[in-house]
Amino acid sequence: MIVEIGHFALVLAFALSLVLSIVPIVGARIGDQRLMAVAEPASFAILGLIALSFAALTVAYVQSDFSVANVWENSHSLKPMLYKITGVWGNHEGSMLLWILILAAFGGLVALFGSNLPATLRANVLAVQGMIAAAFLLFVLASSNPFARISPPPIEGRDLNPILQDIGLAIHPPLLYLGYVGFSICFSFAVAALIEGRIDAAWARWVRPWTLAAWAALTGGIAMGSYWAYYELGWGGWWFWDPVENASFLPWLSGTALLHSAIVMEKRSALKIWTVLLAILTFSLSLLGTFLVRSGVLTSVHAFATDPTRGVFILMILIVFIGGSLALFAFRASTLTSGGLFQPISREGGLVLNNLFLTTAAATVLIGTLWPLLVEAVTGEKVSVGAPFFNMTFGPLIVPLLLAVPFGPLLAWKRGDLYAASQRLFVAFALALLIGLVTLFMIDRISVVAAFGVAVAFWLVFGALTDLALKAGIGKASPSVMFRRFVGLPRSVFGTALAHAGLGLTTLGIVAVSTLEVERIAVMQPGDTLDVAGYELRFDGLVPFDGPNFTEEQGRFTYSDRSGRERGEVVSSKRFYPARQMPTTEAGITSHGFSQLYVALGDRAPDGGIVVRAWWKPQVLFIWIGCIFMMVGGGVSLLDRRLRVGAPAAKRSKPARAVEVAT
Amino acid sequence: MLFWIVAAAMTFAVCLLLLTPLARERAGVRNSREHELEVYKDQLREIDRDRARGLIEDGEAEMARAEIGRKVIRLSEGDGEETGTASSRALGRWVGAIAVLSLPLVSWGLYAATGSPDYPGQPLQARLDRDPSQQSPEELIARAEAHLAANPGDARGWDVLAPIYLRLGRFDDAAGAFANAIRLDEPTPARLAGQGEALTAAANGRVSEEAQALFSQALDIEPGNIRGRYFIALASAQAGDQQAAERVWRQMLSDLPDESPWHGVIAQAMNGTAEPSEGANDQAEMIEGMVASLATRLEANHDDVDGWQQLIRSYMVLDRQDDAQDALDRARNAYGAGSPEAGHLAAYGLSLGLNVED
Repeated sequence: MIVEIGHFALVLAFALSLVLSIVPIVGARIGDQRLMAVAEPASFAILGLIALSFAALTVAYVQSDFSVANVWENSHSLKPMLYKITGVWGNHEGSMLLWILILAAFGGLVALFGSNLPATLRANVLAVQGMIAAAFLLFVLASSNPFARISPPPIEGRDLNPILQDIGLAIHPPLLYLGYVGFSICFSFAVAALIEGRIDAAWARWVRPWTLAAWAALTGGIAMGSYWAYYELGWGGWWFWDPVENASFLPWLSGTALLHSAIVMEKRSALKIWTVLLAILTFSLSLLGTFLVRSGVLTSVHAFATDPTRGVFILMILIVFIGGSLALFAFRASTLTSGGLFQPISREGGLVLNNLFLTTAAATVLIGTLWPLLVEAVTGEKVSVGAPFFNMTFGPLIVPLLLAVPFGPLLAWKRGDLYAASQRLFVAFALALLIGLVTLFMIDRISVVAAFGVAVAFWLVFGALTDLALKAGIGKASPSVMFRRFVGLPRSVFGTALAHAGLGLTTLGIVAVSTLEVERIAVMQPGDTLDVAGYELRFDGLVPFDGPNFTEEQGRFTYSDRSGRERGEVVSSKRFYPARQMPTTEAGITSHGFSQLYVALGDRAPDGGIVVRAWWKPQVLFIWIGCIFMMVGGGVSLLDRRLRVGAPAAKRSKPARAVEVAT
Repeated sequence: MLFWIVAAAMTFAVCLLLLTPLARERAGVRNSREHELEVYKDQLREIDRDRARGLIEDGEAEMARAEIGRKVIRLSEGDGEETGTASSRALGRWVGAIAVLSLPLVSWGLYAATGSPDYPGQPLQARLDRDPSQQSPEELIARAEAHLAANPGDARGWDVLAPIYLRLGRFDDAAGAFANAIRLDEPTPARLAGQGEALTAAANGRVSEEAQALFSQALDIEPGNIRGRYFIALASAQAGDQQAAERVWRQMLSDLPDESPWHGVIAQAMNGTAEPSEGANDQAEMIEGMVASLATRLEANHDDVDGWQQLIRSYMVLDRQDDAQDALDRARNAYGAGSPEAGHLAAYGLSLGLNVED
């Protein structure tokens, strides 16, 4: 019965989301407070119903109820409990349900914290949120129902794709969806503002925290996905420019632009058009990502779905929402009043430059991702736009932006002084240059690219530190005053510095790994040794091992450093999952500081040895540590008190009093 | 029945939740100008804070205050909010009523079309715990499997399970079950021949050397073992000695009682193996054609690691080592030295004994 209650809750949530998408908008239109007030209880109820539905599906997974087709297709009674639970969203239907659950949760949060929003704006935002929920609930019910039943029930399930049987599945999709779906709030705000035809000051204050939260989650989701691919695929790569990866990277790029654009809008009421357009584009790119992954147009481990009706359905959702919102934008954009003026050299100007670079970079990635699909659709030929295309176009676009980042926070609003900012950044510049030269002469005499990249990375880190030091008043005040000022700085200043420094750390990791990595491939017999960047790797042999739902051969290695001292053991294995008849490679990884030794087993060679691939990955962990910095930066910014606008006091206050304060 | 009660209660609760705001008269709702004013006030406070911290200069702070002040003045010049007219209130009541009514109609209508309200949940453990007389064959097998997983030393259990596996077409499981029974207890002719039959079935009817050894062992213990005799003859037929096979089979036909099901099996085998094998050449040609088309496809689109692996493996199977080497080199070049794909392909080539030096 629990399964059917979950199914009914989903249907009821759909009916309710239809009401939510129509009634409050009508209320806002005709000025009926009661109709507008429907939005909050409806949002809460939808959240409750979808949570109930999700819980019912989870129970079916935990109990291995194979009368539910979705459980039968993606679970196995012997699977460890963790993977039974994560398996709920490790498949098409379940992951769509998770998507909708997070959407409903965001709607519930707006309803909960929205008391300080103007009533019509709140009603419209929740209604747009309801429309998105209605579209996706209809999609799930019509073409991907996770509660479809089979009778008689099979006795054993078909197991989850082995690559997905990993702790990564517990973290990556929920984080990624928090990011994707979080941008739906920005989208709803943008569309609501366009429906009303006006954007007031509260709008930007409201959009910014949501953007921050979604952006931080998306950053974490992408980083987690990257690390997962790194250790699970056993290929040693951390980013493949795979269409599915690009699908998550695109909203990140435009979301980053949105984040910065919203600052200007909040502080200066400028860049309204930019902000609204970016809000629409970011969520549109999230939807596009969902379409690319869910429709099965891409052949990849992520594309569980191969049913064309689903593709067409999502494409229709895509056209309605993107087309509709852009049409509304074209129709209404001219009514948005322009805000404060500014000089080209100013904080605003810097942020516009940032937007330009980021949107161009997003456009490049978008073209690279969609081009093969377009060509295949038109000519039927399969072409590939590989990593070289992205490295050649994305790289040159992003380097100038990285160089410009430290200047941004040092420029004043309205009109800035580039020369003064350069002077203040001199120390950071000199230190970065010095580190670049040290890299060139001490570590790698050949690679100028490595030295330049490392210098850019440290330029970003020192630039961020410079900003903090200057704001604390370095050189102008005594240490105790400086400390007091430092502690008292707004959280958003720390957030900015953390995120920009994180960007530098990620750059450092990427540059170090791409230019200084060492890779070895060899056929090894037990007792053989392999030299990897000064470490000696000895193959001790293969040991069979039985897991709960797999068998594996563990390749055991011992490694020692230059002096011959043993440093530890690495175990890399080849697994076989009988239920799906699928092999996987489990890489053996050990960390030394921020560098890693990475060992992956290949196939058996004709002479009885086994192919071993080993890498020395210098400073590789900085790639993800930088992302954590960015996430934390986003979180710290979120705590800034200026993002908490109070609701107007219940007793009517006179506008005149505020004018007095202002003048 | 319980399901319908719960579903009705849920629907009723949700309708009630919508009715509450619709029925309540709202007064004193703050208009959007007050909200904006609140934001401006907050911005002014922020400027004061920033000024106190020394984040901005006096001049900057003054400028920012003036800017916000202008916005506040502009705000107070605007007119008040419109309130609902009588006709719009009537419209509102209609919309509210339709919305609440639509909830049970849409949800029950849609659920009636897609749900299976009378189908109870089937948690696996509960199914296995049921009285055996009510269980399906699959459930009985799963039960036996669970029993054997807990008591792997029970040879009798494996004896029962093995032929069932064989009948259900789970040949690998059947072979494993027979092998377990042999290992735990003793090699009886029935177990040996059973394992041989399972292996043969798993190999699509080809009697492997391993299976032949098992059948011979069975015949050593019991020279008249029917399975053993039949499959050893089949093996010689497959090896090309049709006459020897038919000699044994004819002998068996005369030995066996008339009602034995083996008559049919043997007659079929004698017809089936008598046909000379045709189409071997066609098959080779077809494989060559598939490999050629795969090579062409990869020529046009380099980005397909699985395709490259398949091509290299096919060349190796066809004993065209030079072509395999050439395909490997081209694939690695296409991805570029140092790319993860090129490294992956190099490792794959190495496992086939190809050269991966540059």
